[in-house]
Amino acid sequence: LYVKASYKEQRLEARIALLQSAVDEYYKAKNEFSAKTTEDEMRLLRFQRKLEEEKGELLVGFSLHDTMTTLLSVGLHKHAEQLYKDFRVPDKRFWWLKLKSLAEKEDWEELEKF
Amino acid sequence: MASHLFCGRVNLNILREAARKDLREFLDKCSGSKAIVWDEYLTGPFGLIAQYSLLKEHEVEKMFTLKGGRIPSAAVKNIVFFVRPRLELMDIIAENVASEDKLQPREFHILFVPRRSLLCEQRLKEKGVLNSFTNIDEYILDLIPYDGDLLSMESESSFRECNLENDQTSLYHAAKGLMTLQALYGTIPQIFGKGECARHVANMMLRMKREFAGSNTQILPVFDTLLLLDRNVDLLTPLATQLTYEGLIDEIFGITNGYVKLPPEKFAQKKQGEGGKDLPTEPKKLQLNSAEELYAEIRDKNFNAVGAALSKKAKIISAAFEERHNAKTVGEIKQFVSQLPHMQAARGSLANHTSIAELIKDITISEDFFDSLTVEQEFMTGVDTDKASTYIEDCIAQKDPLIKILRLVCMQSVCNNGLKQKVLDYYKKEILQTYGYKHILTLKNLEKVGLLKPQSTMRNNYPTIRKTLKLWMEDANEQNPNDISYVYSGYAPLSVRLTQVLARPGWRSIEEVLKMLPGPHFEERQQVPTGLHKKRQPGENRTTLVFFLGGVTYAEIAALRFLSHMEDSGTEYIIATTKLINGTSWVKSLMDNPEENLP
Repeated sequence: LYVKASYKEQRLEARIALLQSAVDEYYKAKNEFSAKTTEDEMRLLRFQRKLEEEKGELLVGFSLHDTMTTLLSVGLHKHAEQLYKDFRVPDKRFWWLKLKSLAEKEDWEELEKF
Repeated sequence: MASHLFCGRVNLNILREAARKDLREFLDKCSGSKAIVWDEYLTGPFGLIAQYSLLKEHEVEKMFTLKGGRIPSAAVKNIVFFVRPRLELMDIIAENVASEDKLQPREFHILFVPRRSLLCEQRLKEKGVLNSFTNIDEYILDLIPYDGDLLSMESESSFRECNLENDQTSLYHAAKGLMTLQALYGTIPQIFGKGECARHVANMMLRMKREFAGSNTQILPVFDTLLLLDRNVDLLTPLATQLTYEGLIDEIFGITNGYVKLPPEKFAQKKQGEGGKDLPTEPKKLQLNSAEELYAEIRDKNFNAVGAALSKKAKIISAAFEERHNAKTVGEIKQFVSQLPHMQAARGSLANHTSIAELIKDITISEDFFDSLTVEQEFMTGVDTDKASTYIEDCIAQKDPLIKILRLVCMQSVCNNGLKQKVLDYYKKEILQTYGYKHILTLKNLEKVGLLKPQSTMRNNYPTIRKTLKLWMEDANEQNPNDISYVYSGYAPLSVRLTQVLARPGWRSIEEVLKMLPGPHFEERQQVPTGLHKKRQPGENRTTLVFFLGGVTYAEIAALRFLSHMEDSGTEYIIATTKLINGTSWVKSLMDNPEENLP
């Protein structure tokens, strides 16, 4: 369980590797929840990196919530939707988030759509 | 300047004087002019012991803050470091000393507060600078007098250390502090306690007492009873939003070392001719203690009663100013003039507190504040505690401050004796997705200290505790309180209720409930030399020292003061603690943010 303390200190790729060992430790300790969460975290990091390379938006290190907000605010609705489905974000929270970021952008057209 | 320390039942100024004497002795040891290099954290607490003027009398000419590199040059003979015994600070000191000018030999001294540590000295030795120090000494500063009835150790992370890191150093300091107190105020005949930490402290005290056997102090005991309470026993109270005036100031602006920093806009001096062109940008700093007559009067009131008290005071003051028209004779005018300074001070403090009250009111009338208060009160009365709260969901969705969320979730968990696994996981997932996965460490910590937990098969004890101890009073009277529950507008702090029951009718009556709360409860007696037994006058009150291990909130203090003033209570309370806390600072001390440590 102590691996998780160390992974934050490292940057870049080493992080994902360390997270993986944290996951292993969690499974050993039968801590299902933490293991699943950490796996999610790795998935998010990979997703963020991919998008960073493709779109040039700074994303790595953001929380899932902030990532979706950023995506919506630059008009990458498809990607945001994808995260919403992948991570099974509760509807209510996603709508709140979508409403807020679209309103901030004053993107009324997109708002009309749902 | 320290008049607020006299007014309590017990003269805490004796303690302060003792602390000042030690400090003077140390300063005189390093003869000649000197500069003090401060560990920044210590400047606040030290300000409560000694003002700059005292240091100056002992040839202190310069003061610096401890930081890497070189010490700013100053024409002094001695450099004195005032530091907490922490390894990372030793490294800085070593750097300071190493980069010192060799042509200008100066003497170095270290004063460790509150204890010297071998580990730190070892570190200095490793760095090759240990021999540069002429004096290495410790300055025992455990309990710092804050107010006429309040002592604090200002040991920030004590709760975290005891419950998370299994480090009981702060408990040792607490026990030592109590020994110092007993040396000055006499042996405390009766000790009660509840909780693991309380047990530890009591054991250490009794052991220290045995070691010093024979050197019994011949002082008439000032305190009749000592009550040690572990914060663990009452996790709920600090999570709730405090509703006394002082409590709200602390919740909203934060009080550190008896000072509060306020946004300057409200206090801009309206000077004629300047047209408000230079508004002060520095936050306004205000000292808060019972030396200020008005503040002493309103600090412990429920905020809803503060407005009325302020307007009443305003009337009295303006009436007093009106009196000058009635002054006919020279004698009357003279008398009026002699009162002027006092009246002007009163008017100044009235203006300050009216401004603060306005600032607070802006927040308390907001919808947000009201909504979360409603949810808190629902949890405390046991409404819907077993499922996920829609209010918390909404707050997370809107990304409200994380600490607010954590306070609410923890509160629900405490009131429900743990959350259903499904609900707990749901909250955790929501929090991690919204605020970032890094907070998994924080959640882990909260689970470890018991603030968050999955429901066990055991039934929920909280409703029983609530009913037996009358923790919820439906008709709390905020204006003219008749019960301690007024400090949270309905909720009576568990810790204070325990204190109240102990005084009357005694803990035996609530044995069942005590068993439900974590940790052992116990009673010890200490021998007081014969001839020193106090003969109580009829009608004389008992004095109890309540020591909160792991922190105390201003609202709890207010509740204890209220008990002291109640006519038939028969007991007066002095409060000591490891740290003055509120829900926010408390939860913060339990958080782990790995990113903060990044270079």
